[in-house]
This record gives sequence, structure tokens and C-alpha cells, in this order.
Amino acid sequence: MAIPDILPTGKKPAITTRMTDVLTSEWTKVRSVRSTFWLLVIAAVTAVGGSAIVAISERSSGKPPTADPVASVFLAWLEYPILAVGILGVLSLTSEYPTGQIRTTFAAVPQRLTVLAAKAGVTGIVALIFGEALAFASFLLCEAILAGHHGATSLSHPGVPGELLAAGFSVFAIAMLGLGLGAIIRNTAGAVAALPALIYLPLVLLTLPHPWNDTIGKFTLLTAAYQLVSEHPHAGLLSRPLSLAVVVAWPAATLLAAGVLIRKRDA
Amino acid sequence: MIEVDQLTKRFGPVTALDDLSFTVRPGHVTGFLGPNGAGKSTTMRVILGLDAPTAGRALVDGRRYGQIVRPLRQVGSLLDANAMHPARSAWCHARSVAQSNGIGKRRVSEVLQLTGVEAVAQRAVGTFSLGMKQRLGIALALLGDPPVLVFDEPVNGLDPEGIHWVRELFKTLAAEGRTVFVSSHLMSEMGLTADHLIIIGRGRLLADTSVDRFVEASARSDVLVRSPQADALARLLSTHGATVTADGDHGLAVTGLDAPAIADLAAEHAIPVHELTPRHATLEQAYLDLTEASVDYPAGTAPGKETAAG
Repeated sequence: MAIPDILPTGKKPAITTRMTDVLTSEWTKVRSVRSTFWLLVIAAVTAVGGSAIVAISERSSGKPPTADPVASVFLAWLEYPILAVGILGVLSLTSEYPTGQIRTTFAAVPQRLTVLAAKAGVTGIVALIFGEALAFASFLLCEAILAGHHGATSLSHPGVPGELLAAGFSVFAIAMLGLGLGAIIRNTAGAVAALPALIYLPLVLLTLPHPWNDTIGKFTLLTAAYQLVSEHPHAGLLSRPLSLAVVVAWPAATLLAAGVLIRKRDA
Repeated sequence: MIEVDQLTKRFGPVTALDDLSFTVRPGHVTGFLGPNGAGKSTTMRVILGLDAPTAGRALVDGRRYGQIVRPLRQVGSLLDANAMHPARSAWCHARSVAQSNGIGKRRVSEVLQLTGVEAVAQRAVGTFSLGMKQRLGIALALLGDPPVLVFDEPVNGLDPEGIHWVRELFKTLAAEGRTVFVSSHLMSEMGLTADHLIIIGRGRLLADTSVDRFVEASARSDVLVRSPQADALARLLSTHGATVTADGDHGLAVTGLDAPAIADLAAEHAIPVHELTPRHATLEQAYLDLTEASVDYPAGTAPGKETAAG
């Protein structure tokens, strides 16, 4: 049987072309498995639903208005939604190890950092768009519930759009943290167990004696993210720019370690 | 061309590859043989840049695999037919692999059709039989129309029709001038497919030779004789320069004299002969003889058995 040579072998493609190749490949992988869909559904339902419950209880409580609408939306996400998006990041790599798919991936693209970057790109874009959509959807739903009530505010309120963007960005940061952990641990169960340990570090640190709990606590990812989504900066926490740096630094450091290990280890 | 150059790979205290060197040339189907655990898969993983060697190197057309951009156009490989996400459809899996090397949809359909996977391409690969996964894996190896092809145990799980198809495919690919490197633990299979052999045991090279020369060099032909007067015949043959050993009931395995000479001597001395069978070593037997030592020796004391030929 003849195997037609339809592929011109010639010049090396530019680096950007190669990156585009791997990005499209990773995109095909992400959208062709169900787990992606279910994780996003779980995250969306729990995030929007959780926020709505907060708004409803606020409306019925009859207490004075909450000073900080976006922060309260964000706090409602802390459990499931954030974890689900983090797991999406974890699965991006760990789902390839038990089956050996990772060897198919690395045989096709031996430039492993390119693979890691493409996975970060695809997961990152999904998480960022999803996170921002969730932030705005949760906020608008809460405000619709509180409309005419004394707790109501609106998108046009100064600072609100920026805080919502920061909330969505935090979701992206958690997804990247998950991806990095997955690349380091290479095992879904292990990485899924490690993820909440890092995310919910602030809760553990609360038990430390004062002032260690506050001093270390403000460098944790969620505490820094909380500062970014708050209407007025909290005095005990890092400044907004430093908090942003902390939110970026956690996934960046994890991905850096992942990048070093992924090149060294046997697939 | 694949060049394996003084490759050593250790996993902790275990030495999987021990100073292994050989070359796989284009235009041939080269069989890569060895008992289970000999280091075949490890060698292939190092060639494909998946495992880093402890020492030495493996080059494909003069380059390390990791340096090749869009490698599927240079090297097609199938290491493990199960290396796929079970929930993904065959089409999406093939498409994602093709996209990573800038290979279009048309070529994906083409190789799926060629390997007979097209009809089930929309099904999740987790529902596939091993044979069907092998076909899909072979399709992926052909995606980039590469000059070098590497297959690890590709006939596992295939039905007889599939095995026949794979043999013909490999021969065709080699006839087109491609380098075809196929591992197997079955000598009989390689005897039908390969024209060159690389045999390893315990991570060391045991033989690097053409199939024909391998049989010739390892040939151990003798003559089986059965006689009710086996003892007398044995003494007679020995005095005429033969080496005789007992072989079963009234049987003698004779080397040093051929069947006509044995028959003539027996007739001359009126010794009845009930059976006279010239025997030639099979490829399988030659292979077992060669690898026996590397299977039997306990870890760490592998014998330095040298290359049989070539």
C-alpha cells in the first residue's frame, strides 16, 4: 500500500507556529473529555448558587448593608468553585500519566517546556474567561436579588469592576497553581490532596500564635486575593500591588519548579 | 538511521542498559529481540527522548530526538497502544497528535482509513480491543509520513489477519527506503518479518546480524538415529569420528557424520536402523540458545557473552 508523501519536509517552522500547533493540540484534548465539562459545571453552579444564597440571607436578615459586595461574593466561592477550577488545572497533566498518554504527548512534542506552556495557555484561558464570567454573573445575580434593598450596589459603583476582574483573576491563579502541582506530583490523587492544603493554608495558619498567624497569613494566596477584591484595603494585610504580586507568585513559583522537573524526569 | 552509542541506563541499583551500541539502517526491517526485561522498551524510550540515558546517546538521523522540531515527520513511533486517554474518541486523539506537529485533517483520515480504524473513529478509545488500539497506534506512527519508524511489540493483540497486514506494511515501508525498527520477544514472528536482527539480553548486545547469517552461525544440525542396538551403533559411529549422545528411547543424536554415512555404516555392520532424521536448528532454537544465559543468570552477574556475528 502506498503512503503518499503529502507533507513537504523543508524549512523549520517558526517558534510561534510551533507554539500554535501545540496550543491547538492541547485545546483539542481539553474539549474532547467530559471531565472538563463537569468540573466547569460544578464550579459554575456552586459559585453562582453560593453567591445567591449569601445575597438571599443578607436580604432576609434585615441587618445594615454589607459594606463590601464583591468581597462577599468572593468569600462564597472559597469552597467548591475555587477547588473545582484548581482540579481542572491539576488534571491537565495528571490525567495523562496513568494511561501513558504523556509519552504520546512528549514523543510528539519533545520540547517539554513548550508542552507545559501550551497546557498553561489553554487551561489559563479557559480558567480566566470562566473566572471573569463567574465573577460578573455572581455579582449581577446578587445585585438582582438585593435590588431595591439597602444592600444593593451596581457595576457602575467605583472600584467594583476592578474588584470583579481581580476575583476572576484569582480563579485563573488557582488553576495555574493546580497545573503546577499536577506537573510536580504527576498523580491526580496526590495533587488533588495537595491543592487544598495550599489553598486553605490561611485557615491552618490562624491557629498559630499571634503575631505569626497574621505575619505569615497575609502572604497566602487566598488572603492576598481577598485584599484585591475588597472595596477598601484592609490595614493588617499587604498593599494591593504587593497582594497582586503574591497572587501571581504562588502559581509562578509552582510552575517554575514544574518546568525544572518536567525536563529532568523520565516520562 | 538510528544510532545507539554506548548507551547505559540505570534505575537506582538496577542496570537496564549496559554500554549498548548498534545501528539500525534504512531499507530494512530490523527486529529488536530479547527476553522480557532485556531492555528493549527502555532502549526505545531513550531513542524517543522519553528517558534520559545515564551515559551514552541515541541519535536519529544524526540528531537527538529532543532536538527535532515536529518530530512526527522524522520519526513515527508506537511504544504502548494503551497510551491514550480512554474517554477520548479515536478521531480526537489522532487529531490532537496531528495538530501538535502541524499535520492536517486530511492526513488524519488517510491514516485512519489505511489502518482500518476509520469506521470506529468516533468511539472512545477505552472501548477498543487491544488489536484496535494497536491499529490506531500504527496509524499515529504513520501520520507524519516519517523516514524512521519505531514499534514496540506492535503485533500484541492483533488477530491473524492483522498480523499478516502488519508484516506486509513493515516490508512495504522498508522497501520504500525507510528505517523500520520493531521489537518483539517472539523470534518466530521476527523470522517472518525482519531481515536484520539486534538481540539483547540484560541490557547488553548479544547479536547484531542478518537473519540468514544468524541461523547459519547458530546452526546446530545433527542426525537422530534410532536403533534396537543403539549401544553397538554408538560405539561403531564413535570409532568413525562421530560425536554421539543418547537422545530418548533407543535414540542417538549424532554429529560429525551425515545421514547417508550413518546408514552405510549401519548396513555394513548389519545393525538395524528404525529411524534416521537429519535435524536443523530452528530460528527459535538458535535464539533460545543465545539468550538462555542472559535469562538464567541472576541479577548483577550477567555474562559478557559477545556478539555472535556482524
